[in-house]
Amino acid sequence: MTEVMFPALSKENPAALGVLATWFVHDGERVTAGQLLAEVQVDKVSVEVPAPAAGVVRLLVREEAEVPQGTPIARVDTATGSSPP
Amino acid sequence: MTATADTHRLTTAKAMVDGITAEMDRDESVIYLGEDVGAYGGIFGSSTGLLDRFGATRVIDTPISETAFIGLGIGAAVEGMRPIVELMFVDFFGVCMDQIYNHMAKISYESGGNVKVPMVLTTAVGGGYSDGAQHSQCLWGTFAHLPGMKVVAPSNPYDAKGLMASAIRDDGPVVYMFHKGVMGLVWMAKNQRAIDEVPDEPYTVPIGQARVARTGSSVTVVTVSLSVHHALDVAEKLAGDGIDVEVLDLRSLVPLDRAAIVASVRKTGRLVVVDEDYLSYGLSGEVVASVTDVDPSLLRAPVARVAVPDVPIPYAHALEYAVLPRHDRIEAAIRAVAAA
Repeated sequence: MTEVMFPALSKENPAALGVLATWFVHDGERVTAGQLLAEVQVDKVSVEVPAPAAGVVRLLVREEAEVPQGTPIARVDTATGSSPP
Repeated sequence: MTATADTHRLTTAKAMVDGITAEMDRDESVIYLGEDVGAYGGIFGSSTGLLDRFGATRVIDTPISETAFIGLGIGAAVEGMRPIVELMFVDFFGVCMDQIYNHMAKISYESGGNVKVPMVLTTAVGGGYSDGAQHSQCLWGTFAHLPGMKVVAPSNPYDAKGLMASAIRDDGPVVYMFHKGVMGLVWMAKNQRAIDEVPDEPYTVPIGQARVARTGSSVTVVTVSLSVHHALDVAEKLAGDGIDVEVLDLRSLVPLDRAAIVASVRKTGRLVVVDEDYLSYGLSGEVVASVTDVDPSLLRAPVARVAVPDVPIPYAHALEYAVLPRHDRIEAAIRAVAAA
């Protein structure tokens, strides 16, 4: 299992609050390594979050939720043989 | 729609790029050029990732010289390539209109059809984010008025990809007008209708066919681009009040699907036109004429047109929202026409 963190967009304020702007995958979807998972935003800066590994993705926060930088937003279950429910 | 192995959730911007990518993969003569379309990826995300995939010989950053690079695109098209040329904001058309309407649009006619111009002119349109009078216009009525160009304006990710494929494959010039508010950009106003499941495989949406975005029986709303989203929001609200709104997304201004307009008004007898372009001499009047030219008696109530009054679009947020066709004005117009 690999955790996906909200990336650090604000260098000045490590605990800055960001927004999970858009999920491009559904909870339980099988993703490939590098596949676009989400777009996140801090102030007016946005960045895309790719899947760190292949597997089944579990979303940990809602779309449009406020999230502190550095907290987990998703998990990718990389165990072989797993499949979406 | 839920994701399957064959679809992905995309913003309209990403779907547009997906459509361009598919055509560039299958046809080496397709190139993309314009200002900040390379490393920057288009200031509204219209070309993000194309440079990395196809390199600087097919994805070309140009100087700020619209006449020169649109002319370059026309020349390339005449010689057999299929260039996509981006005019960063449609508001800038004034500095390059001779290339667009005297050359791109007319060469085929002037040559008796012997010279084709298979070119796509992409351009960002629309307001709603305080960008002022010179960066907020739609102006599709201006391009639709001038003969020789097809004019498309997608409202959602599926159509953005399919219309792009059709535009690139078309043997004549197509103006592809993407509203900044439908692109799904997070720094713009959040718009859930700008994100949807899109098939991974290439497909086309035919140019000139309107789409019934919502079926209804009380009032027909004919509209295009971002206003489709507003109209659908209002329609959902009014359904609770017993007003059953049909929303027709034109998807293209040229050709205009007049038959679809007439068919819907034949059913409802009531018509509201919502157009983010200026009110006078434009799309809204053309839509009304599409009905009255055929049979004025189809209308059981006077038509309402919700458009930008004939003033430049204000910068101040409250004033801008007052002139744009937003939910409040659309709802008032539908209620009035339904009650008339």
